[in-house]
Amino acid sequence: MFQKTDSALVIAGHGSTLNPDSSTPTWKLAEEIRGRGIFGEVHCAFWKEEPSLRQILHCVDREDVYVVPNFISEGYFTKSVIPRELGLGEGPTRIGRHLVKYCDPVGNHPRMAELLLKRAAEIAPGVPPEKTSLFIVGHGTDLNENSAVAAKREVDRIAALGRYREVLNAYMEEAPLIAEWDRLATSPNVVVVPFFIADGLHSYEDIPVLLGIATESPGAASADRSSVFAKNPYRLRGRTLYYASSIGTEAGFADVILDQVAAFDARHTA
Amino acid sequence: MRDTTQELERWLHAGGKFVGQIIVMHTEGGWELRHADDARRGELAAFSKWEDARSLANFDDTGAYRALKTAPNLRHGWRLVLPDAQAVRLALDYFYPAMIGVWLAHGRGEIMPVEFHDTLARQTGMYRITQKLTHEQAQRLIAKQCRTNGGCLKTILWQISGDVAVPLLPPEKFRAGATPVDSMPLLCHEGCNFLVAAARKMVKDESPAP
Ligand code: SF4
Repeated sequence: MFQKTDSALVIAGHGSTLNPDSSTPTWKLAEEIRGRGIFGEVHCAFWKEEPSLRQILHCVDREDVYVVPNFISEGYFTKSVIPRELGLGEGPTRIGRHLVKYCDPVGNHPRMAELLLKRAAEIAPGVPPEKTSLFIVGHGTDLNENSAVAAKREVDRIAALGRYREVLNAYMEEAPLIAEWDRLATSPNVVVVPFFIADGLHSYEDIPVLLGIATESPGAASADRSSVFAKNPYRLRGRTLYYASSIGTEAGFADVILDQVAAFDARHTA
Repeated sequence: MRDTTQELERWLHAGGKFVGQIIVMHTEGGWELRHADDARRGELAAFSKWEDARSLANFDDTGAYRALKTAPNLRHGWRLVLPDAQAVRLALDYFYPAMIGVWLAHGRGEIMPVEFHDTLARQTGMYRITQKLTHEQAQRLIAKQCRTNGGCLKTILWQISGDVAVPLLPPEKFRAGATPVDSMPLLCHEGCNFLVAAARKMVKDESPAP
């Protein structure tokens, strides 16, 4: 693994004004990577929280700065908002005394398929994949975010491996709807992995309600939200259902961030 | 290379004590952070890792999420015992994100405040509508959202536009030099996303029904 003690890393996340869950995986990644001592300094910056993208460079001591967006898909935020807020141009950009190197978002990385498979295997230990339907759930409807496209891409990659009986994409608000999982899936076992960066309302409440493993009770879920993952497997609609937490909480994301930094260097030093 | 942690440490040794609602105290084994109101209180829950600062900073005394970390509602009843200045810096970055960096940059003359009008002009997507905010609306909005008492502890370095100021707040709200010497000024060099979101709501609420 490379050493970049003369460089800083900034992980850019979305964040939320409603709850701390949205930024938790981004902070955790920063703590993990900081602990490895690869970069001279590691920071987070957010769109909806502080430190903001407008503030962060004032906090970075080192001049050489890699920015990796902790986003599932390439879209409005990674293409418009982050470059605009930081003041980025194409390629490495000089901003004040910093040289900013803007990397690809984590969700673009080829290793996503591997992490999704790992998460699926962990949540349903000993369950034979050839008797299992695997769902990758995206948000959908967020046209600018391309989250549906990203989920479909991972589904195609995983399906090509031929391990699971079937691999299906589904969305919260557009067809194919995750609420119809039992009609879409043909296997006795069903594994559902949300293709989101953070656990939050969608993974704690919305998707469980759509799956039929939780009832709509605003606020109730906030008491012990992660219990929805502890109750696996669920037996309903004649199937055995395993529900995983969002892929962004997977520890392997730290390596993906480092890979995106290495990929930037490979592209720009060739 | 610059060293933010070293500069923070120098400030602390020179008598710096208060950062927002936090008091930083020098102890035998290192440093201790508390809510300034708790400076002399016993029976505080003890924490010893800088990472604990995140959960301490995230919720107020009622358990509600503190989206804006410079709101004057830091929770009470804890003390955070830390070994060195590096840990103090990381903890303060959770309590008051970016505030050490912006303060030092301001001292070096590197902070260029952005007029609120320009912040709104930059918005796209669902926030583009904020470009309709009038100066009069902006003045009312800022007076409510940014007021020190109940809103936000930061000192505002920007104007609304040109010479359009925010006359509804006291002049100290706009003077970084008004902060006592043993306190680190918390500086706002550009309207935050909470203010932009509130501007969106105001424009929507106050525009005549179609
Ligand atoms: S705009 Fe600045 S002063 Fe006003 S609430 Fe936001 S951070 Fe505080």
